[in-house]
Amino acid sequence: MPLKRVLTLRTVVATSAGITLATSSFVAAAQVAGFLAGDSAWLSILVSGVLCLLAAACFSELNSILPSAAGIRLYLAKAFGEKAALTFSLLYMILLLVVVGAESFILSKTLNYSIPQVAPVIWITVMLVAVTLMNIRGIKVAGNFQDIVTYGVIVSTLLIALWGLKLVHFHLAAPLATGGVSGFIQAVAVGVFLFVGFEWVTPLAEEVTESRIIAHGMFITVGIVCVVYALFTAAMTANVSRAAFMHSPIPQVLLAQKVLGGVGLVWIVIVSLACSFGTFNAGLLSISRFFYATAREHALPPVFSRISMRFMTPWVAIIAVFAIGYASSLAILFTGRYLVVVDMAAAAECVIYVLSAAAVVVLRKKMADTPRAFKAPFGLVVPVFTMLIFTLLAVMTIVTDPAIGCWMAAGLVVIGLYVLLAVPRIREKYKVKRHPRMRKSPAAEDRVGPAPGVVPAVEKGGDQA
Amino acid sequence: MNRDWDRTVLVLANDIESAHTLVLKDGELALQQGRQGEPDLTVISDSDTLTAMFFGDITPTEPYLNGTLKIKGSEDDITRLDFITLLIWGE
Repeated sequence: MPLKRVLTLRTVVATSAGITLATSSFVAAAQVAGFLAGDSAWLSILVSGVLCLLAAACFSELNSILPSAAGIRLYLAKAFGEKAALTFSLLYMILLLVVVGAESFILSKTLNYSIPQVAPVIWITVMLVAVTLMNIRGIKVAGNFQDIVTYGVIVSTLLIALWGLKLVHFHLAAPLATGGVSGFIQAVAVGVFLFVGFEWVTPLAEEVTESRIIAHGMFITVGIVCVVYALFTAAMTANVSRAAFMHSPIPQVLLAQKVLGGVGLVWIVIVSLACSFGTFNAGLLSISRFFYATAREHALPPVFSRISMRFMTPWVAIIAVFAIGYASSLAILFTGRYLVVVDMAAAAECVIYVLSAAAVVVLRKKMADTPRAFKAPFGLVVPVFTMLIFTLLAVMTIVTDPAIGCWMAAGLVVIGLYVLLAVPRIREKYKVKRHPRMRKSPAAEDRVGPAPGVVPAVEKGGDQA
Repeated sequence: MNRDWDRTVLVLANDIESAHTLVLKDGELALQQGRQGEPDLTVISDSDTLTAMFFGDITPTEPYLNGTLKIKGSEDDITRLDFITLLIWGE
């Protein structure tokens, strides 16, 4: 059954990469380099990318059996039950909102560096209010324009990185010297942050002709992002002093200015704006829709499902997302602890990959007969290895800063209690007392013979599918 | 509000042979039996779920979130369809 409008592989890759390429990722790349000796950061990013390919294989299999815009929420619900799915989905969404806060902080620092007269708090307010208003009014960036912006960011970052490497004659001081296993594993763990969001393309399953396009899109995105950040980090460690990039929220600016001067500064500010705009827009849009859908099933108060009659958008959910994102931005601005957020997001992403891999294992039994357009190869090797390796990476991230583990555990307990205690009450309170109006289902009619008047009068014509 | 939303919605049952096409044009809704042209949205579920949904006994949210109800189409159109069901059937 062909649809009038379907997404191509190009747009799927642009969407996935557009979410993944964020200004905060440059900070994560600098942090990865900080864990390692010499210029070997590219190696850990490569390993992170290969591991994310394993996670992509798990997501591809889940998407092929459950192609739905509900995405990970549906995968977890089918595998582990509704309550676990709701708990982890809510925790994941709130963590992503905190990432939006970190992103806006880092972009505000970038803009403040180029235009010092405007304080970061002004930049944060203007950017988040602008994206929120766009979302409330239902203004969306045209698909082709988004494609151009995303591919423009990829090419620009690659060019700046290659120019930086050219300045050092493509010579890296110690490209294979990692300086120890522990540091390397921590670098790989934080490197996962660079790929955060590649799987957010799975909700597009209903907009493509076949789920393989989503799978291919994820694999290509992970490959592109891997190359972009590996080259960028190699150029950064070769051109900028370790002390400078490790303690700066704007390492990408330092590199671009070092290799291209004033032109580089302007160029990287534009690239950062494009990166963050994509992250804000996708983040606010996706998370507000999640809040709306959750309220529709009475797992959040129904006020979140209110829609604007004028713009046909869930305005309460959008404003709630803005409020949380803005609060986290200000908290990061006043505490300066943006690296905690980066590490926390990396750990959360590892946990999500572990859960997805576990879902693959469970659903291979529960939905054994469901046809799979894509199946992770080598039996259970890929999902089991993904579970083990990302568990290790999550632990290593938490070891870096135990506060991350405490915050995540606290969040899990609070949301778990909410799901166990508050959600049943909300559902009971807003349970609609519907009077059954259904007479007989068509299947029942087939069994007993059609009853007159059951099916509304319809025009005849066309092919019966 | 929805007057400019001209769309063709195909409703398919996956347990019996049943297809209906909803054609929205200039704010008017027409229902036709069978399949008419290329749809913008395709709504697929078992006949019991579809019947309960169209009689208003259940909202589409639960079957959609548990995977019983599948909708093929653009995200914008799916969201708009959900908003319309919210307006018709309430929370």
